[in-house]
Amino acid sequence: MIPLLAAGGFGSFALLRWADVSALFGILPALAVLALAVLSVAVVPGLRWRRWRYEIRPDEVDLQRGVWWVSRTLVPLARIQHVDTRQGPLQRRYGLSTVVFHTAAGANQIPELSTPIASEARDRIADLTREQDEL
Amino acid sequence: MSSEAGPLLRLHPAAMVIGALGTIRRSISATIVPGAVFLFSQGFSPWTIALVLAGVAVVAVLAALWGFLSWRATTYGIVGGSFRLRQGVFQKSERTIPLEHVQSVDTVQGIVQRVFGVYEVRVETAGGGASEPDASLPALSRAATEKLRRGIEGARREPAGAEEAPGPEVLRRLSTKDLLLAGATSGQIGVALSLLAVGSQVFDEFFSEAFLRNLVESLAPNALVLVLILIPAVALAAWLLAIAGTVLAHFGFTLSREGDFLYIKRGLLERREATIPLGRIQAVRVSEGFLRQPFGLASLRVESAGYGEDAGVSAVMFPLLPFGEVQALLRAAAPEFAVAPPLNPLPRRALRRYVLRAILPALVLAGAVALASFLVFDAALGLLAVALVPPLALYGWLRFRDAGWALEGDRLVVRSRTLARVTVVAPRRRLQSRSVLQNPFQRRLRLATFGTEVASGAGGSSLAVTDLGSDDARYLAGALSSRPGGRPGREGSPP
Repeated sequence: MIPLLAAGGFGSFALLRWADVSALFGILPALAVLALAVLSVAVVPGLRWRRWRYEIRPDEVDLQRGVWWVSRTLVPLARIQHVDTRQGPLQRRYGLSTVVFHTAAGANQIPELSTPIASEARDRIADLTREQDEL
Repeated sequence: MSSEAGPLLRLHPAAMVIGALGTIRRSISATIVPGAVFLFSQGFSPWTIALVLAGVAVVAVLAALWGFLSWRATTYGIVGGSFRLRQGVFQKSERTIPLEHVQSVDTVQGIVQRVFGVYEVRVETAGGGASEPDASLPALSRAATEKLRRGIEGARREPAGAEEAPGPEVLRRLSTKDLLLAGATSGQIGVALSLLAVGSQVFDEFFSEAFLRNLVESLAPNALVLVLILIPAVALAAWLLAIAGTVLAHFGFTLSREGDFLYIKRGLLERREATIPLGRIQAVRVSEGFLRQPFGLASLRVESAGYGEDAGVSAVMFPLLPFGEVQALLRAAAPEFAVAPPLNPLPRRALRRYVLRAILPALVLAGAVALASFLVFDAALGLLAVALVPPLALYGWLRFRDAGWALEGDRLVVRSRTLARVTVVAPRRRLQSRSVLQNPFQRRLRLATFGTEVASGAGGSSLAVTDLGSDDARYLAGALSSRPGGRPGREGSPP
């Protein structure tokens, strides 16, 4: 976000300083970037949070997210190698944790669950994975 | 070192020489610049030359001593179901790798090793990825190599009685003609060009600018002639370099199979032998290179789980063969992946997105140039970028035409093109995750992108079908699960 703001500011500065354009036209890039910033700070996180869905079924973990670019990911529990929860300093401040589960091809995560629910989800995934292994 | 009376073995004595040469090579790269500066700044008096020679002698003696000490300190063996390697002169280390974690026993024979008739043996591990370092034994005799390989692989083979099997059956050998053809069509000219660029920088260091200018001016009196000579010359050099690289890497490429293991031998100066357990192959890629497709040629690669760091080269299963013979080779080598069903094409409405995606960079470029020329000059330079549109559109159409997918009895087949046309076969049980992605433009056209991942090396490798019908994408995601999936619910939503 900050590079974008800087670019917008510099764009306006450059237009006003070196190009022969009216002041109204010159501040357009800065305004556009500012609007984008407000949108992405105030509106987008809420939408994204509202669209994030996960479900831990006996055979698969189902993740669905995205407002415009919608993605749905299915991870079979039989492929999950290990699962852990993570908490950064900011997350600790708000009592949140992220569940991260690893397959042989990489990691998937369920971000920003409240810590008790994250622990529950982690244990559930671990238990179900063990059941799958025993099958 | 022999404090424990275990069956730990020493390396071949050639390890001393190899270790010493390694030390010398490292010290040369560290001291050559200061040494040369010293020599040139002081002039070539007998005194300075003697000093430099003395320095060289000290390095050689120290390296030899170090080589001996590290040879004496290094022991290896199979102890109680684990491969064990002890090494270190001052800092002792002991590495234990349980045999079931060993992925393969590969051998490399560099030039020095070939002089002594020994092999560098690499014990590659699986699963641990980058965090678990693999073990490398710099010099073992042929017999010791075979014994170690049998010891490790024998422990993993199901019937213990199959020890005296007839030996690996050769499935295919790369002929010299095919080898040269593979080099000529490898399309690695980009790599070779960058090598040439590095070479020309070194060249610049050694010759003064004035000398180069004289050379250039005497060769070609005007710039146009020079460019006309230089560009084909550089291209030709890069092409020859690409051929040479392929010949070095793939000379005598032999693919053989014994039971559940594939063996690959290759290399001209440095001979390599790699083992790929069939059970670890996650996916097979049939790649028809841009230059190879017109001749009906293809190359085969495998995605293998937990394979060593140089996965890029060791993953080549066969470097060049006629496309028509791919299935026969796969049936013999890895039957699970021998499948070539008719592919489902993408819906007609996806063509527009493919073409748009291809020409978008040119359009953006044209727009930017047009804007810049509007602000700064008056010329309509942006029109130049428009000339790129027809070839790019053709490229987009090619990508659309070649994309396709199929489900054939538990195996997913996906074909796509960036430059080469690549067909990937992956069994359902190897798919680590599946996703369906849809952006607003795709939603409007009822299209989606289906993506999935297989394990490869330390990480994953993804395969995707871009812009297939959204019902097909959902069908694939569901059909590839162990059970038909439902919709994500709201239970357990974040509070």
